[in-house]
Amino acid sequence: MPAPSLVNYVTKRPWLHKLLQPVANWYTNASLYRQMGLRADDLICEEDADVLKALGRLSPKESYDRIYRIRRATQLSLQQKILPKNEWTKPEEDVPYLSPILKAIEAEAKEKEALDTLVPAKGH
Amino acid sequence: MICRSALSRGSKLALGHQGARGFAAAASPKASYEPTTIAGVKVASRDDNGPTTRLAVVAKAGTRYEPLPGLTVGLEEFAYKNTNKRSALRINREAELLGGQLTAYHTREALVLQASFLREDLPYFTELLAEVVSQTRYTTHEFHEEVKDIIHQKQAKLDASAVALDAAHSVAFHSGLGAPLYPTSSTPIDSYLNEHAVADFAAAAYSKPNIAVVADGASEHGLQKWIEPFFKSVPAQGSGSLNTAGSKYHGGEQRISAVGQNAVVIAFPGASLGASSPETAVLAGLLGGESTIKWSPGFSLLSQAAAPGAQAQATNYAYSDAGLLAIQIRGQSNAVKKTAEAAVKALKSVAESGVSQEVLVKAIAKAKFTLLSGSEVGGVGLVHAGANLIHGGSPLKITETLKTFESVTGDKLKAAAKALLEGKASVASVGDLHVLPFAEDLGLRV
Repeated sequence: MPAPSLVNYVTKRPWLHKLLQPVANWYTNASLYRQMGLRADDLICEEDADVLKALGRLSPKESYDRIYRIRRATQLSLQQKILPKNEWTKPEEDVPYLSPILKAIEAEAKEKEALDTLVPAKGH
Repeated sequence: MICRSALSRGSKLALGHQGARGFAAAASPKASYEPTTIAGVKVASRDDNGPTTRLAVVAKAGTRYEPLPGLTVGLEEFAYKNTNKRSALRINREAELLGGQLTAYHTREALVLQASFLREDLPYFTELLAEVVSQTRYTTHEFHEEVKDIIHQKQAKLDASAVALDAAHSVAFHSGLGAPLYPTSSTPIDSYLNEHAVADFAAAAYSKPNIAVVADGASEHGLQKWIEPFFKSVPAQGSGSLNTAGSKYHGGEQRISAVGQNAVVIAFPGASLGASSPETAVLAGLLGGESTIKWSPGFSLLSQAAAPGAQAQATNYAYSDAGLLAIQIRGQSNAVKKTAEAAVKALKSVAESGVSQEVLVKAIAKAKFTLLSGSEVGGVGLVHAGANLIHGGSPLKITETLKTFESVTGDKLKAAAKALLEGKASVASVGDLHVLPFAEDLGLRV
């Protein structure tokens, strides 16, 4: 169960979105994953059937790059270091590559659940 | 005596000497598919006002047209998968809720997407078939998670007779019609078959000139009304090319060792779909095979030739520009060998001394029944009607064809059998090659 989120509420209101964007940028930087060369989607917890299925649907290149980023980050964490500044993940590189697949899988499961629990309309 | 009078009455009926109207004549108004064109889509339909409908999209995407090996089976397994509008699961559940049946299968020439459903659900299934044809997404994960698995499962089910028939086609026609109907697990298709290649093949094959919609039991008015809006999204011109080389008969022999099962196919050039060669159909009826009546092997030459432990069957595989008259034998290796020898002997005896009038009458009746029952049930007539449309011919005219069957005489049959034996045969043996005979030992030219 994901934590409650106000993302949709905020993105629907441009003025609010604009107002909060600098705060979001500050928060992302402060969480330090970009300094370790990771992307936001690398942080999604793997111990989940849906996520494992989504990982299986990545292209070989995406999958390889993901493992590389995670191993590099693990090594950095071990050494108590961060990457040199030119190797940090740039904001434009930090694109969601896993969450769209995950969303599709969740939608499939939801659709299946809905179809499994259909109730025939009375009078038919 | 009851027997004799019943027999003579039957033969008279079969010969058509009596003025009485036969059953075929009474049934003829609904027997043929009527071709039309609706909004650029070729349509063949017949309506018997029954409660159920069969609607099929027949596409020029059989194995002879695939540009790379395995694409036809890939496209077949991608039928009813995710489309731009709905998921594969939804398609299946909705079809179930409406009591419909969805199938996809292929022949050497055509890929068929067929829906059977209650008459009033025509709009839903017309939309569904059009959507499958024009808007399937061919996703990577479905290819890896589902399509590949199904193909491997079906490959595991292939038996010796299927492999032998494919091998006979291969030596008979080389490429095109010679492509295997289902690639075996030892066929290297992995480097050709992927979701992108399938999508490209679909773009070439699923276009208005290359598909035909065949409806059995749908009203003309309903088709006119629903095909136009839903098939609008099907492209008028396919992108990419199909392998459309013509067929040429070569002949030859192929031997494949296999464990556990034995099959021999002896094939000769047969009759193509459009060709009017009633001799071939009657010869196929005469050779026959599996008995159609109980407690007796029947009159057919092959059922009498079959040794215990082997089954034999003759079929004329008719394609748009070629045909293959194939005798398929399967069973235990020694029995298969004996049966193959006996089958060739039987064919030679037809070529040398002809057949008796009584057997000829039976063979003609059998050929007629095969034609009529084939066009009635099991979707065979449906596929033929569609295949004929996409190849530019007109659907099979049942009544006319039946008349030509009656014109076959013993001499014509004799000449036909002789021509087959003088030409080159295509022989394929699969199984225990230590026992299974060579074509030359059978007395055939390859």
